[in-house]
Amino acid sequence: MPPPTQDWSERSKDLSQLLGRAGLGDRAAFATLYEKTSSHLFAVVLRISRDRAQAEDILQEVYVNVWRAAGGFDAAQAQPLTWLTSIARNRAIDSLRRAQTQPQLQTAIANDDEETDVYDAVADETPGPLDLLSRAADARALSHCMQGLTAQQRQSVALAFYDGLSHAEVAEKMRQPLGTVKSWVRRALMSLKSCLERAAAGGA
Amino acid sequence: MDYGRSELADRLAADYVTGTLRGPARRRFERLLPAHPVLRVAVEQWQARLMPLTLGLEPEKPPAAVWRRIESRIGGAAAAKPAAAERTPWWGQLALWRGLSGVATVAVVGLSLLLASPGPAQPPIVVVLSATGGAEGAVVPASFVASISGDGRAMVTRPLVNVSVEANRALELWALPSSGAPPRSLGLISEKGTTVLKKGEALKGAGGLAVSLEPPGGSPTGAPTGPVLYVGKLNT
Repeated sequence: MPPPTQDWSERSKDLSQLLGRAGLGDRAAFATLYEKTSSHLFAVVLRISRDRAQAEDILQEVYVNVWRAAGGFDAAQAQPLTWLTSIARNRAIDSLRRAQTQPQLQTAIANDDEETDVYDAVADETPGPLDLLSRAADARALSHCMQGLTAQQRQSVALAFYDGLSHAEVAEKMRQPLGTVKSWVRRALMSLKSCLERAAAGGA
Repeated sequence: MDYGRSELADRLAADYVTGTLRGPARRRFERLLPAHPVLRVAVEQWQARLMPLTLGLEPEKPPAAVWRRIESRIGGAAAAKPAAAERTPWWGQLALWRGLSGVATVAVVGLSLLLASPGPAQPPIVVVLSATGGAEGAVVPASFVASISGDGRAMVTRPLVNVSVEANRALELWALPSSGAPPRSLGLISEKGTTVLKKGEALKGAGGLAVSLEPPGGSPTGAPTGPVLYVGKLNT
């Protein structure tokens, strides 16, 4: 993986060519693409799915999908890393939906109830969603805009986005009414959007 | 619900990309995406906004077994025979034609709509184009109908449903040769009303038609650059 200091769009530029060649059936290019991106996508999936074996299955599905869909990738519309990460997150969230009918996820959530600090999503040394937000600070405009949110807005978005929690799960974790959490997330997203648009317009 | 309204589209897209849109609503939203450019653009914008957040995650190297399984699934490395190694281009993929049953009914409707004027000597051909990328097994609504004159020299297209395209994007129509050769551009078509195209021999040997999303003046490369939104089979 490239160092984290490297910009999102900069990394995407390198991947654009690989994805294009993979779209034409170039297996070597696809292998390199996997080499360069799988650690990132695995981290994304693992964070949401929490189950290693399941996360590996999801990652496999993601890349088989990417191989098949690479030809339809629209370089004018999306950056490769954005596209890839979106596919991975979608798969992970879909698998969550299926897993929700099974008891093991329920236990995972129940364990978290013991936490006293609601700002810490995970009990072990895994960084909490808020730590992740501050690390993503490399994306300058985004981090600037994140600072404009209230603490509750930031946390609710982080729990939903990184951990793949539903509104109801975020509400449970933050011990707040569902309606309150929904409006935090909504306002956070809308204020991020307008802030990012201002930043783009101002060249910041 | 009017998904063409950009405010609602934006809200749904934000929820979808964040991941808080769940259950049946999430599936319904995914089914709507292929046929609703406004929704799709909103989703792409939210993805561009939020995905950089994942930079905060510590990279985690997956075990080598994952790549080996992927390789075997895509018929790579050891398993690959030269012939099998050639990947079918998107316009030759069977999946693209999926969900095109039930086309006959709509074709009749299209015919009555389009052929009010006295026909030429040879009967015209009607092609119904449906949205691509719907969920497996889902009913894909017909989106466009193209009527080709009997001699193959002229074609009329018109949308069957409300199709909305962002102001800075255009729809381009392509002939897909049955031979598997690359698509040939037939020109830009209107998402709102009837478009008349005179194309001479361009339709010769075509096995299907496709509509892709392109920059305003059409594809700059002569091949589709944007996603393929609609596809239809030419039954001759």
